[in-house]
Amino acid sequence: MTVKIEVIAGGIPHPKIMVAGILASLVCLYLSYLNVVTNTEMFSFFGGLAIVAALIWGSNTIKVLCSYGIGTGVPSAGMIAFGSGVIAMLLATKFGIAAPIVALVLAAVVGLILGYLSNEVLNMKIPAMIQSLTELAVVGAFTLMGFAVLMTGGFTFATLTAGSVTFHGMSVPSYQVSFIGGCLIATAFMLGALAIQHPFNACLGPGWTQDRMLMLAAECGFLSMIVAAIMSFALIPRGAALISLVIALVGWGYTYMQYIGFSKRDAASWLDAKPIPDVEGQ
Amino acid sequence: MTAVAAKPAAGGAMNPTAMAVGVVLLIVILGICWKVSPGLGLMALIGMVVGGVLIGFGTHFVPVGGAPAAMGQAPGIATGVAMLAAGAGLAGLFGGAWAAELGPVVAVVTGAVGGGLMMAITCMMVNFIYVFGMGIPAASGKVANDPITGDSQKEFKSQGTEGHGLPFVSFVGGVIGGILAGGGGTLIYLMILDVYKATLPTMMKATEAQIMPIAISAAGIFAVGMFLVNAVLTAYNITGTIEGPHDPKFKRWPRAIVASAVASALCGLAAILIVVM
Repeated sequence: MTVKIEVIAGGIPHPKIMVAGILASLVCLYLSYLNVVTNTEMFSFFGGLAIVAALIWGSNTIKVLCSYGIGTGVPSAGMIAFGSGVIAMLLATKFGIAAPIVALVLAAVVGLILGYLSNEVLNMKIPAMIQSLTELAVVGAFTLMGFAVLMTGGFTFATLTAGSVTFHGMSVPSYQVSFIGGCLIATAFMLGALAIQHPFNACLGPGWTQDRMLMLAAECGFLSMIVAAIMSFALIPRGAALISLVIALVGWGYTYMQYIGFSKRDAASWLDAKPIPDVEGQ
Repeated sequence: MTAVAAKPAAGGAMNPTAMAVGVVLLIVILGICWKVSPGLGLMALIGMVVGGVLIGFGTHFVPVGGAPAAMGQAPGIATGVAMLAAGAGLAGLFGGAWAAELGPVVAVVTGAVGGGLMMAITCMMVNFIYVFGMGIPAASGKVANDPITGDSQKEFKSQGTEGHGLPFVSFVGGVIGGILAGGGGTLIYLMILDVYKATLPTMMKATEAQIMPIAISAAGIFAVGMFLVNAVLTAYNITGTIEGPHDPKFKRWPRAIVASAVASALCGLAAILIVVM
């Protein structure tokens, strides 16, 4: 038996955020295919936008799951999301242009089985468990794929493993300078796992408001995008990486200001709350 | 309702139907692997399942206290399973990965020692902080006497708490857990690395030396992913906190074994499918 310790209604309903998150991430991931069409890497920043969309959706999913008080802390949800997501995402990259769709399906299957294991075998009996773990696996896979696009300009296994180093003016192929070979994927893993669990972990409590948490999720997404954009200088042309970096900085600045605004709106002192009045006769 | 009382009480009972479904699922996944890659792949997958089960079982030994422990109201290390497992297990995994070229036995033992050492240091420093920083003695709330030293616990336990600090049995449990989890994580890494070293050169049409960065990095990230999945599933099994091997929650380990085996087989199959498809 589970106690739902935090019942907070209001805000945008979860199914709406989920559908919007899936569509926005998929569209952004596919828009990065313009790189192949135009034979440039100028559109890599769409990967970063996919990260932000997926993280906003993911943080709301974590809210749904962790409202039940799963007892293991909010970060564990982020860790299992990316642990299952990375596995689905890496396998999906083998499918070429279909990779984002395959990532969606594979991650959903992995998440579904993990959800079944936790809910039935481990006897968690939480109503939202199976759906949440399924969603989180997809979020993890999309976010990592977004990082891959942002850093390398593509989402196929070949793009993620091939790189080149310039040696005495000659371009020499090197597997070491790549998303997987250089283990940039590990950094992406941690950047994403921290960004997905932080918003709800920071905003939970009686003063939780959805817009503030989702804005923080977007802010975390753009903050991760800044770091990833800087790393992308090693793998994609300078101009393309600069575009990603500028978009990340602008997006982070905007969401940060918005978040501070929401925080001030929700902060007790800002509301000019009075001290608890003395009870009469004391 | 306090935060401690609000902890979900996921029942300690087994669900026989679900366990049977889990076992069937495991056999199906092993069957798929046998179909796509009968020799190398199946052996590697079995190794990964063993590694995943070691992680799942090992995590039960680790004294995880969570937020109540940070306030000195429950025994254990004051953080969540995901953080502890990542700290201890990954320390072991990195140690084992460094020793990978010295052969599987040396590597797994190195990983186990690395994980155990990390947990020993963590438990030691946690007790330092509890005793000298917070001024609380180590006392278990679940048993009257420490099962190893036989020391009486009741006199040291503050009223209204579930115990506090890190009793000796929890310390030993932590080290055992670190050894099992570190060894298991390393085993998973070695198994994936073996498959990739054997198959990637033909797949990518390159020499083994050229693909080594890809093989090591991909095997590493898969091992990390599987490690975290297993650790979090175990965390769900013990609903976040456990005192060590003497805790009644420890008896729930058969459920975690099934869950970890299925989850590792599933993730391992994905890792193998990348190179054999």
